[in-house]
Amino acid sequence: MTGEAGVERPVTGEAGVERPATGEAGVERPVTGEVGGPGRPVRVMIVDDHPMWREGVARDLTEAGHLVVATSGEGRQAVRVAPAARPDVVVLDLQLPDISGVAVIQGLREALPDVRVLMLSASGEQQSVLDAVKAGATGYLVKSAAPAEFLDAVRRTAAGEPVFTPGLAGLVLGEYRRLAATPAGPAGSSPGETPRLTERETEVLRLVAKGLSYKQVAQRLGLSHRTVQNHVQNTLGKLQLHNRVELTRYAIERGLD
Amino acid sequence: MAGERCGIVTRMPSSPGGFEMPLWRAVAVFRAASLAYVCLVALREADRYAHPLAGAGLVLLMAVWTAVTAFGYARPAWRRWPLLLADLGVVLAILLATPWVIGRAALHGGVPTLAVAWLAGPVLAWAVSGGRRRGTVAAVVIGGADLATRERISTSSLTGAILLLLAGAVVGHVARLAVTAEERLQRAVELEAATRERERLARGIHDSVLQVLALVQRRGADLPGEAGELARLAGEQEAALRALIGGAALPPATGGHDEVDVRTLLSRYARAGVSLSAPATPVPLPATVARELAAATAAALDNVERHAGGRAWVLVEDEGATVTVSVRDEGPGIPEGRLEEAQAQGRLGVAQSIRGRVADLGGTVRIASSPDAGTEVELTVPRSDR
Repeated sequence: MTGEAGVERPVTGEAGVERPATGEAGVERPVTGEVGGPGRPVRVMIVDDHPMWREGVARDLTEAGHLVVATSGEGRQAVRVAPAARPDVVVLDLQLPDISGVAVIQGLREALPDVRVLMLSASGEQQSVLDAVKAGATGYLVKSAAPAEFLDAVRRTAAGEPVFTPGLAGLVLGEYRRLAATPAGPAGSSPGETPRLTERETEVLRLVAKGLSYKQVAQRLGLSHRTVQNHVQNTLGKLQLHNRVELTRYAIERGLD
Repeated sequence: MAGERCGIVTRMPSSPGGFEMPLWRAVAVFRAASLAYVCLVALREADRYAHPLAGAGLVLLMAVWTAVTAFGYARPAWRRWPLLLADLGVVLAILLATPWVIGRAALHGGVPTLAVAWLAGPVLAWAVSGGRRRGTVAAVVIGGADLATRERISTSSLTGAILLLLAGAVVGHVARLAVTAEERLQRAVELEAATRERERLARGIHDSVLQVLALVQRRGADLPGEAGELARLAGEQEAALRALIGGAALPPATGGHDEVDVRTLLSRYARAGVSLSAPATPVPLPATVARELAAATAAALDNVERHAGGRAWVLVEDEGATVTVSVRDEGPGIPEGRLEEAQAQGRLGVAQSIRGRVADLGGTVRIASSPDAGTEVELTVPRSDR
């Protein structure tokens, strides 16, 4: 694209301000303080093929005190520069000109196992959103979300919280049902390997899919906010684990043939 | 992209009748092969013929006619009545001349007829050109003429006539099938081209218009006055357009006959303020059930629009034996006793019309409402045919 390769300074009008005033945000990660918490800016990388978007998102993030460590318009380039940029969170558009969102996520996680991925998409490409979640993305937001909503999502993603839209919850719920309904694979897989939701997890996911916030879900079910979050996280974790197992098995089968 | 579409166009059969071509070719091959048989028989039996020279003339005529039909039937424009009738006439003439050429006594003595299997040619041509009925008519004419030229009808000549009749009917039937199959293929190819075009448009819209609309909404949301209003409108259009191209990209029917993906039907209700959650895979239901379910959902959404401020969340779940659609809002809730009251007054409330529709499908409706948590309508319909 326009070739903003490499690790960039935050793109703001204020030249020279490359780090927020808190100052503490050095290269070394402080031991204390949650990522994204107060006093600790989030290192963000933006991958989107739309230059206007990159700029707009970068400006919002910088104004909110976060650090935009790199931007890229292409997936391969993003994977290449990620190790040097060391982002906490990658804000990723699922539709890139060169490689698929899933491939970007896999590449990113190979290079930086702890990196968190927040997907942004303009259209509801349902299957690709689901595939990206299975590949390891933990957050999803439509592009029309308000800036405040977006900043909140970045902060929560950095803190390790899964960011679910109701739409994503519906997709995940549907995927579990699909896996449960599909007979186990031919290669001698036992039914025990198919991931299943507990009753509680199903309950939580359904409520999230119906638009309730974690707080509302917690209230409705008489749980703590943290517990609700854990339930949601588990639903993703099981799906991602299953996906890895499947991929490995596929690779082994291919290798032995 | 243009190349892709060209590929489709060239794959299309160039004209109606493209599938019949192999059948016509098969008829020509049959005629040539049976002509070879005619020649063999004539050479072997020539010394027993009453008029061997006339026999040679007739064989020559058959060869010429075989060439004429092979040439004529290869052209779609020529496959009409003049050629078909001439075909039948020539073969009839040869048939009727046979007793004189071979001689009644020789025929009686076991000499095969002149045309042997070659006489099936026009029957096959008629069958391919016009189906079962035409094939049968030609078979009756040729077979009848063949039987009429014999003094005594033997079992084998009767069998020959019946085989001719069967060939006419069966080939005609197959020819019809080919035509139908071709029409279906044509439709499928057109549909594929249309779908591809739609997907191409969807990609284009996604890459440009949606991005800009979303950006306008995002940047303008906090602006006061008219600018904020414009941003809100841009956001609404973005959501509508997104639903439109998202729905259009899905195939209209999935799996089996007359089944409709419920998600496609519901996607048109997704707009700014109405979020639609659904599985990534199709949720097929019989078309009538899906339409009624969508209508009930629309009624529930209308209700939200009227009483609860319009913000709503729709969830589609496929439970295998049942399909559930939930509609939730965060409005003031339905006051206790309100539904019963409306019913007592004989008014067909929205809730009633929803209940009625879903009950007709053998499903259930659950309505939960409270002042602090809004209203939730859950529509569950069974998949009876599974």
